[in-house]
Amino acid sequence: MNTGQVISGIGHAGLIGWVLFGGAFQSEPLPFEVTEVSVISSDAFEAMIPTGPSPDTATDVALPVQPDVEPDPVETPTPDEAVEAEPPEPTPAPEPDVVPEPPAPEPEPQVADDAPVQPAPQEQAVVVPDIAQRPVPRAAERVAPDPVAPPEPEAAPDDVQQEAVTESDTGESQQDAQEATAPEEATTEIVTEAEEPAGAPTASIRPPARRPSPPVQTAEPTPEPEQPAQEPQTQPESEPEPQTAEPADRTDDVNDALRQALGGADDNVPQGPPLSAGEKDALRVAVSNCWNVGSLSSEALQTTVVVTVEMSQDGKPVIPSITLASSSGGSQAAAQQAFEAARRAIIRCTRDGYDLPAEKYGQWQEIEMTFNPERMRIK
Amino acid sequence: MMVRVFFMILMCLAPAWAAAQNGPLRIEITEGVIEPLPVAIPDLVPEGGAAGDWGQRIARVVAEDLTGTGLFREIPSSAFISQVSDFAAPVQYADWKAINAQALVAGAVSVNGNQINVKFRLYDVFSGAELGDGLQLAGTTDAWRRIAHKMADVVYSRITGETGYFDSRVVFVSETGPKDDRRKRLAIMDYDGANIQYLTGSESIVLAPRFSSTGDRVLYTSYETGFPRIYVLDVGSVQRRVLESQPGTMSFAPRFAPNGRTVVYSLTQGANTDIWSMDINSGQTQRLTSTPAIETAPSFSPNGDQIVFESDRSGTQQLYVMPAGGGEARRISFGEGRYGTPVWSPRGDLIAFTKQSKGRFHIGVMRTDGSEERLLTASFLDEGPTWAPNGRVIMFSRETQGAAGRSTLYSVDITGRNLRPVRTPDGGSDPSWGPLQN
Repeated sequence: MNTGQVISGIGHAGLIGWVLFGGAFQSEPLPFEVTEVSVISSDAFEAMIPTGPSPDTATDVALPVQPDVEPDPVETPTPDEAVEAEPPEPTPAPEPDVVPEPPAPEPEPQVADDAPVQPAPQEQAVVVPDIAQRPVPRAAERVAPDPVAPPEPEAAPDDVQQEAVTESDTGESQQDAQEATAPEEATTEIVTEAEEPAGAPTASIRPPARRPSPPVQTAEPTPEPEQPAQEPQTQPESEPEPQTAEPADRTDDVNDALRQALGGADDNVPQGPPLSAGEKDALRVAVSNCWNVGSLSSEALQTTVVVTVEMSQDGKPVIPSITLASSSGGSQAAAQQAFEAARRAIIRCTRDGYDLPAEKYGQWQEIEMTFNPERMRIK
Repeated sequence: MMVRVFFMILMCLAPAWAAAQNGPLRIEITEGVIEPLPVAIPDLVPEGGAAGDWGQRIARVVAEDLTGTGLFREIPSSAFISQVSDFAAPVQYADWKAINAQALVAGAVSVNGNQINVKFRLYDVFSGAELGDGLQLAGTTDAWRRIAHKMADVVYSRITGETGYFDSRVVFVSETGPKDDRRKRLAIMDYDGANIQYLTGSESIVLAPRFSSTGDRVLYTSYETGFPRIYVLDVGSVQRRVLESQPGTMSFAPRFAPNGRTVVYSLTQGANTDIWSMDINSGQTQRLTSTPAIETAPSFSPNGDQIVFESDRSGTQQLYVMPAGGGEARRISFGEGRYGTPVWSPRGDLIAFTKQSKGRFHIGVMRTDGSEERLLTASFLDEGPTWAPNGRVIMFSRETQGAAGRSTLYSVDITGRNLRPVRTPDGGSDPSWGPLQN
């Protein structure tokens, strides 16, 4: 059971992170660069060589002018440019690209003289600004200062719930205990979305948490939408705190009872990874070798029974625990006969215990066997 | 975009996958073994000085009944670790488990005068529990075999889930002498060949005896007058009477309807043979088929609504089903060869038949619609199947080849397994298996 939770949690975190920060925008830029470079022919390239000096003159002209213009565009994006203020100095060319609007009117009249030669290099240069513009959307981090506030209110819901309960002064001690349980549930709900059975016991704790809510109902509209937002964000870190605080008695007892009921004693039971196909096959073959259908009636041979059995750690079935979970295909009498044959099969071939890995005891502590005699029917 | 959708679906499925990892370990067993169930049947504990060896005798009959089915294997007493010396003492399951006994039959017997009293319990050794409640049977010492058969029926029923068939009788034709001078007479016996009694003399040829559904009467055909005629014999009093027949006709192949009041049979007029029915009490007859073909060997379904019979109306001998009151018949056999002597199973789900194909005879079964035909036997001559009361076993007669050939009764499970001869002092043919006795 814990293994499933860990795997699910890691998988979710990885997938969410990849979707948010991964290659969601990777598909567009590649073809754009390659096609532009391949269009140029050798003749055109040679023709461009003599025109080379003219851009030098243009750069000479541009250099003195642009540094004067730089401080202006830098001032407009004030908040984020503190980091980017240094790079524009060594490379003057990208700077006008980063701020296309204000410098554009000034260099245009100067470049207009060299117009026939410059269009091609401008296209190549266009590729660069596209890449350079990405940092600009990252300037959305400017919004970060604003979001910095939201995470606090997101964490606040945890606090808000506690405050809300404290506001309802009636039944103080009980409400405190209930408040502490509520955040546990919120965290365990995350777990339940990933792993249901682990969340099942915690789900039962919810009702007592809702009881104090009536006095808080005035504040309900706000906490209700906040709770779902908290669930994905607040992780099990909040779990140990409330458990150690107040509801320890209740939750421990309930969890122990549920563990016993569910057969999932997690404390001293080695869980281990799930059984491999080979280990399952070994168990299947062992039971099959003792499943004697020769003495079954034809009706019982048409009855499929599902039998549950609890196993001890030495690989032997707990005989009183062998029960008929369900049956299909035959009458109740036939199901009883089929069940007795199945029970004999489970018990017969286990004198020394089934060959099951002890380190995975938690995986086979309870076994559900389906005995399907379809292939063994009289034909 | 597609990539996002894919991973969103994956994320949705992840919880379900994780949930699937929880809960009990689930496995499915679809292959088992078919082997006799080991059972320990120690001698019944004698209670009182007059019990003598009754306990041993009864235990032997019970063991033979169970092992004769092919579904059980008796563990020899020499392998027993502990003995059942007190019927009320707790069972030492470990001792029986150690010798791989899956079931234990423990009982006690007491005798007072000619009255015998048997009580027994059946235990599921590996489960360490009793199967059902204990039972007590009482009767005269002369009926000790019936007590043993009933005891075996209970054991068989509780383990297999099917009704037993050990406390039943079979009527058949006992045959003596060589083929060219064979003498036949009606005989009745326990299903296992014990307690045989002869119902007729061997002065005339008798054929095809058929039990009534209650087992108190027998129909049979006799050539006592030189022509085949049908007789009804009361098993208890061994009194008989002939059924009325039209002059110049031959009647044969009779069989009771489930209600016990109606008899269906074949009637030959000239060169035509059809199926008729007759009310035994009033003698009123009704013609059920009317074709120029030979139609014979009728057999009722268990509920009495339909009749299966053989006919060569299609050019070859095949099986047909028609309503009990006559009417349009539906052909159900289409395989290669000739089909005959159909008999409806007491369960109503199968029809047993004799099939002749490629020079060999077979006993087979098929569904009532003709599907799932299975041949259970094959020999020089197998014929005349009859069903055990529980519909699980078929008895038939097998004749060996040659002038010195002998007809013997055999039984076979409907699975085709456990083919074994039935012990009779002489040869036997035309068996008819009666119902379970009260």
